[in-house]
Amino acid sequence: MKISFKVNGAARELDAPPLQRLLDALRLVLGLTGTKEGCAEGECGACTVLLDGEPVNACLVPVGQCQGREITTVEGLGAAGHLSPLQRCFIDHGGAQCGICTPGVLISAEHLLRRNPDPDDDAIREALAGNLCRCTGYQRIIESVRAAAVLRRADARDVGDPRDVGDARGARDVSHDRQEAP
Amino acid sequence: MATSPPSTHSVGVSVPRTDGTAKVTGSARYIDDLPGMPGEIFGRTLRSTVPRGVLRGIRLDPSFDWSDVTVVEARDIPVNAILMISEEQPVLAEGKILHAYEPVALIACPDRLKLDRAARAITLDIEPLPAILDIDTALAGKDVIWGEDNVFKRYLITKGRGDAEGRAASEAGIDAALAACDVVVSGRYETHHQEQLYIEPQGFVAFWDDAGVHVTGSLQCPYYVHKVLKRALDLSSERVHVTQAVTGGGFGGKEEYPSIIALHAALLARKSRRPVRMIYDRTEDIEATTKRHPAIVEITTGCDRDGTLRALKARILMDGGAYMTLTPVVLSRGTLHAAGAYRWQDAFIESVAVATNTPPNGAFRGFGAPQTIWAIERHMDRIARAIGKDPVALRAQNLLRSGDTTATGQTLGLSVGGHACLEAALAESGYHEKRAAGPAVNGRVARGIGASVFMHGAGFTGSGERMLKGKVAIDLLPGGRLQIRTASTDIGQGTETVFRQIAADAAGIPVTHVDFAVPSTTVVPDSGPTVASRTVMVVGAIVEGASREIAERVLAEQAAGGGSFTEAGDRLLSREREVSCLKVYEPPSFIQWDDTTYKGDAYPCFAWACDIAEVEVDLDTFEVTVKNFWSATDVGKAIHPVMCKGQIEGGTLQAIGWALCEEVVWKEGLIKNPRMTNYIIPTSLDAPPFHTTLIEEPWPYGPGGGAKGIGELPMDGGAPALAAAIEHATGLIADSLPMTPERLHTLARTA
Amino acid sequence: MNRFTYARAEQVGDAVSAAMQRRAATFIAGGTNLVDLMKENVARPDHLIDINRLPLQQVEETEDGGLRVGALVTNADLAYHPLVEARYPLLSRAILSGASAQLRNMATTGGNLLQRTRCFYFYDTATPCNKREPGSGCPAITGQNRNHAILGASEHCIATHPSDMCVALAALEAVVRVTGKGGERRVPFAELHRLPGDMPERDTTLEPGDLITAVELPPGRFAEHCTYLKVRDRASYAFALVSVAAAVELAGGTIKEARVALGGVAHKPWRDRTAEALLRGKAASTEAFQEVAEALLQDAQGYRHNGFKMALAKRAIVRALGEAVSGRQAS
Repeated sequence: MKISFKVNGAARELDAPPLQRLLDALRLVLGLTGTKEGCAEGECGACTVLLDGEPVNACLVPVGQCQGREITTVEGLGAAGHLSPLQRCFIDHGGAQCGICTPGVLISAEHLLRRNPDPDDDAIREALAGNLCRCTGYQRIIESVRAAAVLRRADARDVGDPRDVGDARGARDVSHDRQEAP
Repeated sequence: MATSPPSTHSVGVSVPRTDGTAKVTGSARYIDDLPGMPGEIFGRTLRSTVPRGVLRGIRLDPSFDWSDVTVVEARDIPVNAILMISEEQPVLAEGKILHAYEPVALIACPDRLKLDRAARAITLDIEPLPAILDIDTALAGKDVIWGEDNVFKRYLITKGRGDAEGRAASEAGIDAALAACDVVVSGRYETHHQEQLYIEPQGFVAFWDDAGVHVTGSLQCPYYVHKVLKRALDLSSERVHVTQAVTGGGFGGKEEYPSIIALHAALLARKSRRPVRMIYDRTEDIEATTKRHPAIVEITTGCDRDGTLRALKARILMDGGAYMTLTPVVLSRGTLHAAGAYRWQDAFIESVAVATNTPPNGAFRGFGAPQTIWAIERHMDRIARAIGKDPVALRAQNLLRSGDTTATGQTLGLSVGGHACLEAALAESGYHEKRAAGPAVNGRVARGIGASVFMHGAGFTGSGERMLKGKVAIDLLPGGRLQIRTASTDIGQGTETVFRQIAADAAGIPVTHVDFAVPSTTVVPDSGPTVASRTVMVVGAIVEGASREIAERVLAEQAAGGGSFTEAGDRLLSREREVSCLKVYEPPSFIQWDDTTYKGDAYPCFAWACDIAEVEVDLDTFEVTVKNFWSATDVGKAIHPVMCKGQIEGGTLQAIGWALCEEVVWKEGLIKNPRMTNYIIPTSLDAPPFHTTLIEEPWPYGPGGGAKGIGELPMDGGAPALAAAIEHATGLIADSLPMTPERLHTLARTA
Repeated sequence: MNRFTYARAEQVGDAVSAAMQRRAATFIAGGTNLVDLMKENVARPDHLIDINRLPLQQVEETEDGGLRVGALVTNADLAYHPLVEARYPLLSRAILSGASAQLRNMATTGGNLLQRTRCFYFYDTATPCNKREPGSGCPAITGQNRNHAILGASEHCIATHPSDMCVALAALEAVVRVTGKGGERRVPFAELHRLPGDMPERDTTLEPGDLITAVELPPGRFAEHCTYLKVRDRASYAFALVSVAAAVELAGGTIKEARVALGGVAHKPWRDRTAEALLRGKAASTEAFQEVAEALLQDAQGYRHNGFKMALAKRAIVRALGEAVSGRQAS
């Protein structure tokens, strides 16, 4: 079945079984591996993406339902050198540890800040209740979101300053090209 | 001064974590994110569905098309043994089945859907046998599944009047000591399984080439995997190449188990002559991989009427599961922490770990200590109740100080921060005022507050580090940069960043001038495993020493030939081609440990903490809400305060989950809730606001000005602090975990 | 996952006739439960009819002052709908107490009504289950049954219905609009779900081909005095051990009408009108609530691991009625 939709602003078309999981379409077909699989049953939220602006679990969304719709993944939030305030704050305030839940958490947090530019801790906790993190105890995640809210409100006045935090080499790539099979 | 390096300090500063950008942009490549290799196929494990039985055979449906399916059975394995402490666990079951989910055969196929069908076209012919499913049955020894008596390991620690020749005399000694005490209190405490539930399931990619076998995966300890592959595949060291992919959490769960998956994938790759990708789904991960050991701890203590503790007698039982794996070491750490953070004149602590027909239990943050600290902390509350004393006052009165000796006879010297932690946590939480006011009842909700105090040994037990000889290499790179080569992995806790900070300060260069090599056994030396709260304190110290040595060489060159640090470094490099330092760990020389008597310096030092939990208990439903959680932790020196707090808070929430809602549900040796929807861990709505205080009592042998290991410590104190708070709120006394609504309800009914 | 065919329906009539042509056809809307069940090989439809394009997305007021909710309205849209928040806060609260934001954004009203039990054994295809494989047996009765039914169970099945939303709809006496073989009909909510009896494979009274098109809510009378109390093991996305939807209409100081629906205790949202009637005309008091609780649970039967639910349910009922009367809604 032919499906056309927008992913991170770009029009994409693919031919897929209608019940293929959106998660697999993103990861295996489009190569967007930022969206993670943690449980495959809509529980952990590691695969959270925005579907027409609303967070959903990509592991439970049949790609057939995405016809004509718009999807945002973590790759759509900002790349190295152009990090969004949320991404910057997750680095600065300890919001990411092992990082496997981080893409989903960022998506849920992005959705929250779009609707509520100044959320209190309860609102942040509520918005992230569908994203499990086993590393942080959530405290640093909440502080990261809180800090990002401040930064976004400031950035709304002064766009720019994509301070490149971290080391570009942090994008560790254990790629296969240096371990090619014979 | 021309010879001094540029003055920089990154230790103690929360620099941006170096893998942060990759993780927040989705570009970090975890194992299942690696692009498929040419010809890659998918692997899968076929497992026993019964907890014990005789494996009669493996039948392949002859009507199925097996042409593109690779099947590996026990007979395909060069040496069918997983080499950990013992070698009794087979790679694939052969003849006998000792636990449910035990691997029996492996299959691989290019088509994932066909792989599912192939799995259904294989019948494992297993004749079930009656299974041993609990500690008591195993100890009774009527039916034997391991060794001569189902016992993996025993330990005995004695002190004072417990010291005597032989177990019987020791017991008589401690009994006499107890009999002489004013107040004798006994209790029995139980803890349950816990699943690590890292959010990234385990997985590996394996392939072979002229250089041997290559495996890349989600793991904590590259050299553990290396050792297991080398033995089972009968290869020389240089033909085994183990590489860590970015790893989505471990908590001990990726300490020993990844060796098995790596081996399975390698075997399939060997037989199929193709790269094999093997990624567990969540259910398989929960069912098959290791969990925290359940434990029963019986304690009898004697003290003076004023609360001065005198004598301790404890008996610890742990369920190791079907194979030994790391059980002796887990039991050891549990035994060594059973006396808690308190002074005892006389002690007798014995422990036994037994085999049952359940999946092998293994490493999980805390490694035996949370079980025994739960017991001793609950017991402290019981003593306080018996003598009518405030539980925190009782703890303060008996808390170890510098100069005191532990149950193993270790005299504490430097960096003993228990009292500082206790005082800070009490002050921050307003404990005394809240406690004195009594439980605050609002309608049908009661609020209470409770505390725990604990210490956790940092680094390997006893002479472990001396025997291990952990190594780190540091290379000088062009442009005045350094590269750290270590087998200590970053599994989220921040190793990459913290090591760079330590190396940068030791060399006097900016943290951005230090690189961290991908941990691959082909290029990094064996630094020892990423376990036991040893990475920062032990391996970090090697990093610091090696970095300093390289810097000294550059500085000498600078002194001789002038120019900047970078110019001097580049000159040195062009002249010598390679400027590297391979350094071996040297533990502080005064550490003495006797493995046969279990006496001496059990750990080089301890990290200390006080946890205070404030809870609300619904008196109708017995749901517990954690309203606030204070921790004051003596970390020696916080290299990276934000990540250090993140470790403490994350570990504490795992403890809260273990205490309140996590429970592996068993039925006849099978797990009935192997899904995230029914093995439930805390969400952001369950996590309390954490108020974390870092106390710095430097350990002079730690890096960065005195860092100690704190990775495991925060798992220890959460459960007893919560139990104490629930007791304050409701009067209900919980001595076993988890404290779910129905268990509290049962307590209320029987109270 | 088994092999299946897939088609999109554009009209309600087409969807229904397509469904009647294949024995194992299933409608798919949000898919949050169905995709998971298919992945686990618990559901094995041979034909999927995608109904997402049907015009069933509206929430509209009915002539009698009630509300008609299209079957494809998502749980999130329903919970946050201003009219629902104002007139049926019980329903909003029940929905928001279940699942996660991500799931509520996909899950639909009709789908929520038809979600399957989360019984361990139902999901584990390696074990027998009368609901999954009729006649194979029910290991839950002697097995791990902490989460199972204490009311209305049978010797064939002790599973519970997992929905929170349905508990509120039962209390509100919603009506389900169904289109099927014989055209359109209205099914009172209490008659939609059934007890397991000797046919536990059937969760509802719907016939093959029946499509839920809407849920109708009668005019809201309980906005001031209602509560949804859910007892569970953690604060988010956990199924109820016990839940209570309580709604009370007061006249002066006395109770004119009371509704109590229980979740997590039976194969369907549990109501007992005789028990509720005990409150009619009475002044609100803990004693009166206890009497109702006793009556509601009088036929309850506990199993090895879920006996605690009987006392828990009683206390939860008393608590919920108290909160409903006082207008303090449980959060």
